[in-house]
Amino acid sequence: MEDTIERHHPNYILVWGILAVLTAVEVGVAFLPWAKMTIILLLVGLAVWKALLVALYFMHLRYERRPLRILALAPLPLAVILIVAVITEFRW
Amino acid sequence: MASIAAPVEHDVGHSHELSFVRKYIFSTDHKIIGIQFLLMSLLFLLIGGILAMLIRWQQGFPGQVLPGGGVFPETMVSDGIILPEFYNSLVTMHGTFMVFFAIMPLLVGVFGNYLIPLKIGAPDMAFPRLNMASFWLAVPAGFLMIAGFFVIGGSAAAGWTSYPPLAETSEYSGVYLGQQLWCVSLIVLGLSSILGATNYITTVINMRAEGMTWFRLPLSIWALFITSILVLLAIPILSGAVIMLLFDQTIGTHFFKSATGLPILWQHLFWFFGHPEVYILILPAMGVVSDIIANGSRKPIFGYHSMVYAIIGIAFLGWVVWGHHMFQSGMNPTLGMSFMISTMVIAVPSAIKTFNWLGTLWRGNIRFHVPMMHACAFVSMFVIGGLSGVYMASTPVDIYIHDTYFIVAHIHYVLFGGSLFAIFGAITFWYPKMFGRMMNPFWGKIHFWLTFIAYNATFFPMHQLGLEGHMRRIYDASRYDFLSGTHGLNVFISISAFVLFASQLIFVLNFILSWFRGAKAGANPWEDTGLEWTTPSPPPHGNWPATPTVYTPPYEFSVPGMAQDYLPQDQSKDMVTAGQPAKGG
Amino acid sequence: MADAGVMRPMPHTARGAGVYNQKLGMWVFLGSEIMFFTALIGSYVILRVGNPGAWPEHGPREVLAIPITAANTFLLICSSVSMVKAFAAASVGDQKGLRLWLIATVLMGAAFVSVQAVEYTELVHKGFVPSAGLFGSTFYTMTGFHGFHVSVGVICMIYVTIRAFRGKYSAADHRGIEVIGLYWHFVDLVWIILFTIVYLI
Repeated sequence: MEDTIERHHPNYILVWGILAVLTAVEVGVAFLPWAKMTIILLLVGLAVWKALLVALYFMHLRYERRPLRILALAPLPLAVILIVAVITEFRW
Repeated sequence: MASIAAPVEHDVGHSHELSFVRKYIFSTDHKIIGIQFLLMSLLFLLIGGILAMLIRWQQGFPGQVLPGGGVFPETMVSDGIILPEFYNSLVTMHGTFMVFFAIMPLLVGVFGNYLIPLKIGAPDMAFPRLNMASFWLAVPAGFLMIAGFFVIGGSAAAGWTSYPPLAETSEYSGVYLGQQLWCVSLIVLGLSSILGATNYITTVINMRAEGMTWFRLPLSIWALFITSILVLLAIPILSGAVIMLLFDQTIGTHFFKSATGLPILWQHLFWFFGHPEVYILILPAMGVVSDIIANGSRKPIFGYHSMVYAIIGIAFLGWVVWGHHMFQSGMNPTLGMSFMISTMVIAVPSAIKTFNWLGTLWRGNIRFHVPMMHACAFVSMFVIGGLSGVYMASTPVDIYIHDTYFIVAHIHYVLFGGSLFAIFGAITFWYPKMFGRMMNPFWGKIHFWLTFIAYNATFFPMHQLGLEGHMRRIYDASRYDFLSGTHGLNVFISISAFVLFASQLIFVLNFILSWFRGAKAGANPWEDTGLEWTTPSPPPHGNWPATPTVYTPPYEFSVPGMAQDYLPQDQSKDMVTAGQPAKGG
Repeated sequence: MADAGVMRPMPHTARGAGVYNQKLGMWVFLGSEIMFFTALIGSYVILRVGNPGAWPEHGPREVLAIPITAANTFLLICSSVSMVKAFAAASVGDQKGLRLWLIATVLMGAAFVSVQAVEYTELVHKGFVPSAGLFGSTFYTMTGFHGFHVSVGVICMIYVTIRAFRGKYSAADHRGIEVIGLYWHFVDLVWIILFTIVYLI
C-alpha cells in the first residue's frame, strides 16, 4: 500500500557528490592547526551531517511515515544518556 | 491506517504432512517453539534450584559433610565439604542460570511466543523461521554455560555480574576457560534474544487482527511488547560489554584492566543493560498477572489505560536508574544522587499498577482458582520486594546494606515472589490451551501453599541477616565474629529452602502427569475473554481457519445486561445478546 | 506461512506501521545494532576522555594511515550509492540495471574489507596489535566488528545478487532489495561515524 505507489527517488548522485565533498572537507579539517575542541566539534558535526544524508536519502527516512522515523531515532537518546552519564566520572 | 483488510484466509492443518522432526524439533510454529522454550527453561530452573540447594547447605551447615557429595569431583567437593572456589562457582552459576536461562526465557521465550500471535489474532509470528533460529540458538548457549562445569578450573565464579578485574584475571579467580565460556554463551544467547525481540515487535505492530487496536490489546501483550523493546535495546549493550571482557580474557586487550584500562566501565555497561534486564524479568509477569486477576475477579482491569502508561513509564525510567547498583563503586556522588532520585521515582508507576490490581479485586466476583492464587501472591510479594527496593534506592542506606543479604532478599522477593509465582500461575492458566488438558487443581493448591509458606520462610529472614551485616556470596559466616549470631537464622533459612525445593516436585509431577492424564480441556475452561480461548485446545497450525475480527476491549467481564459473565474479544455485546451462543467453554 | 522467495505483489498492510513485515523487522533489528555500536563507540569515548595518555600525543594519525582509509571510506559510500541505484532499478523493473548495480555493490564491499585486512596486516607488522594499550584494544574491536558486519553484508548481498540473476525481483515485489539495502546503508553510516571518531579525532 505504501511502497509501490509513492516511491520517491531523490537525486542519489547529487547526495553522493555532497558526501564526497564532506568527506574531503573532514579530512582537511582534521589536519588544520586549530584548537582541539573546535576541530572535534567540526568533525562530529560533519560526520553527523553525512550520517543524516545517508539515513534520510539512501534509507529513505525523509519519505517514510512518522512512526517509522520515530522508531529509527528512538535508540539515540539512550546512547547519549550512557555516554554523558559515564563521562561525568571524569569531567565534571 | 485507513484500509482494513478482510480477514486473511489461509489453510489450516495443510496437507503437506511434516515429518516428526520438522513438526516438533525444527518447528516454525510459534506454539511448538513456545513449548520448546518451556521445557528447556524448566530444566534450567531445576538446575538453578539444585545449585541453590548446594548454596544453602554450605550456608546452613558449613563444615558438615554434604549428603551425596561423593558425586562431585575433588576439585569441587573435597572430603564432603564444598570448596570455597566451588562455592563462588555455585553462586555465580545459580544467578546466571536463573536470570538468563530460566526466568527470562520462561517469560519472554515461552509466553511471548505462545501468547502473542494467539492473543492478537495472528496465524503465527512475522518471521517463523527466525523464531525457530531463536530457540535453536538458545540451546547451544545453554550447553556452553553448562560446559563450564566440566572444564579445568571449573565454571565462571565471579558472580553473575562478572565484575573485572576478578572476571578476567585467572590468577585471582582460579578460573580459566569457564569464565570465557560464560562470555561466549551470553553472546550466543544475546543473539537469540535480539532476533526474538525483532520478531515480537514486528508481529505486534503489524499483525494484529482487524479490530485489535492498540488499546484493545490485553496487558500481557502490552507488557511483552514493551519488554521486547527493552530486550532489543539493552541486550546489545551486554553483548558489547561481554565481547570486550572476552577480548580482555583472550587476546590481551585492556578495556577493563586495572592499571591500563577502566574496570568501572564494565559496571556502567553491565548495569546500563542490567537494570532494563530486571524490568524485562518483571514486566511480562505483571502482564500475565493482570490477565489472570481480571479473569479471577470477573471484572475488567481497574484503570486499563493507566496500566499501559505505567508499563511504558517503568520501561522508560528503567534506563536512567542503573547507577543504583553502583552506589558503593566510588562513582561521582552527584551522579549517584541523580540515580537515587530517579530510582525513587520509578516506584510510582509500579505502585499505580499495584493499586490497580487491588482495584480490580475490589468487589469482584472472585474465583480463587490456582492461577488466581499465584497472581495474588505475586501482588503481595512484589509489594514487599518493591518496598525493600525503596530502602536500597536511598544512597546512604544502600551504602550500609549493599552486597548484604538484604539485597539477596530483595532480588528473591521480586524474582521468585514476583516473577516465579506469576510464571507458576501463567503455566497453570495456559496449560490447557497448550496441552489440551487441565493441571490437577488439588495438587496445584497444595503446591501453591507449600511454596508460598516455604518461600517466605526462606527469604524473609534474609532481610534481617542483611541488616545484621551478613554479606552476600561469602563462603562461611562463622569465620566472622560479628556474624556469630546469624547461624541460627541461616539454619532456619536452609531448612526452609530444602522444603521449598522439595515442594516443587509436586509441580513437576502435576505438570508431567497432567500431560497424559489431566482432565481434558475445552476451548475456554477459564471462561476468559482473550482471543486464544476462541480456538480449540491445543490450537491447530495457523490458529484459526480465518483470523478473527475483534469487537471488544480485553477484559469485558460481568458486562451489565448479559447472562454470561464474560464477553470474548471476537464478539460484541449485540452478537451475544442477540441469541448467538457464546463460543468456547 | 509467507515465503519471502516467491514473487508476488507487495502485500497490503491493514494496520500497523504501514510498511511490510520484512522492512519493519529490519528497522527494528537496526535499532539493536545501533545499541551494539553504542556500547563500543560509547566505551571508546569514555575510555579516551578518561585515559587520554593511552593515545598518541598527536592522535591516531601517528599510527593509522589516514589517506588510504579516507579513500576506503569514500569507497564504502560509493557502494551505498550503487546499492540505492540497484533499489531504484528494481523499483522500475530494470532487471539489467539491478544486476549491474548489485555486482558493483558486492565488489566495492569486498574491496572495502580487503583494504581493511591489508591495513590490519601492516599495522600488526608495525607492532600495533589489540593488546597495545587502550588505543589498540578499541581500534581493533570497533573496526573489527564493523568489518565483520560488512562481511556478513557482502555474503547476504551475494545471495541477493544470485536471486536477482534468477529474476526473483520485480517492480511489484523487490522487498529483498530494499531490506538488504537498509542494512547496507546502516553499515556505511556506522563507518562514517567510526572513521571520524577513530581515525580523525
